[in-house]
Amino acid sequence: MSELKILLRDERLNYQPGETIEGVAGWRLDQPPRSVELRLFWFTRGKGTEDVAVVNQLNFASPQSEEGRTFSFTLPPEPWSFSGQLISLIWALELVAQPGNHSTRIEFAMSPTGREIQLHAHASA
Amino acid sequence: MRARDNPFSTDRVLRVRHRLRGESWDSLLSRLAALNHRAAIVGPEGAGKTTLLEDMEPHLARKGFEIVPLRLTREQPAFAPDAIRRLRQQLGPRHLILFDGAEQLGRWSWWRFQRVARRAGGLVITSHRSGLLPTLIHCRTDAGLLAEIVAHLLDEPVERHRDAAGRLFQKHRGNLRDALRELYDDWAEQPTDRAERRLPAEGRHHDRTAACRRAG
Repeated sequence: MSELKILLRDERLNYQPGETIEGVAGWRLDQPPRSVELRLFWFTRGKGTEDVAVVNQLNFASPQSEEGRTFSFTLPPEPWSFSGQLISLIWALELVAQPGNHSTRIEFAMSPTGREIQLHAHASA
Repeated sequence: MRARDNPFSTDRVLRVRHRLRGESWDSLLSRLAALNHRAAIVGPEGAGKTTLLEDMEPHLARKGFEIVPLRLTREQPAFAPDAIRRLRQQLGPRHLILFDGAEQLGRWSWWRFQRVARRAGGLVITSHRSGLLPTLIHCRTDAGLLAEIVAHLLDEPVERHRDAAGRLFQKHRGNLRDALRELYDDWAEQPTDRAERRLPAEGRHHDRTAACRRAG
């Protein structure tokens, strides 16, 4: 049995550059994991090669089999979340426990408006 | 439609794993062992060779091999200048090389590479042409396979996609990668609105299969 969760403070999914994203990372595993890591990253999704960049990560020391740990990251100025027809840039937090490569992910938006910028909407405006 | 919602986005397509047809993994790995773990996965572009090679990795790692992945493409058709030298120093009997795109090497480079690869416990390549190593499996595609993949990506019954997949398959001469890219483009033109995208709707189905109809 493995259960991993990322809970964001106030369940916020919209952020502006430079803001703090914080919450609780929780896990329930059969055995105490060797490592539990929380990654702040962005990736692209769409047509063609995917890009990914981890901008920050947090290793939880001495993890037990069942725990909840608080976390806090300051978001960088860029890149902003956007979507067009060919590519989307998506921000996410990912919690990974080893061994077993157990993981969970939560996606959120980061831009000056706090929302994903819609490229095709701008193009057709 | 936003790229992130497109059911034919690269990440979703890459998650579709190779479908062994008429053979089990045990059987395939036994045949590979009988070939002294030196064999080729042969087939045309877009036939699933790379996917099969990737899918072999965990099976071979479980047999105790340390996997050495190598890849050449049309964009990068040769190894870095000191790659072969480093490979020579690295390889031993416990290593197994999974080499994607071996057809990129010219005759001389292939011969030179093989001399180095002899040090490894195994070498499995993908190639568009046979003859480099004994053929382990010839990857072939058919319209039924394309229909299965489309249905899987859309989470719909395969019967709904057989006719359109057949036309798309013919248009792309069996290259499933190109066929799925066309479906991506077709879906990219669809509205992002969630209600419009709902799959069971009759109207959406016609929209969604527009690319397949064009293929005919």
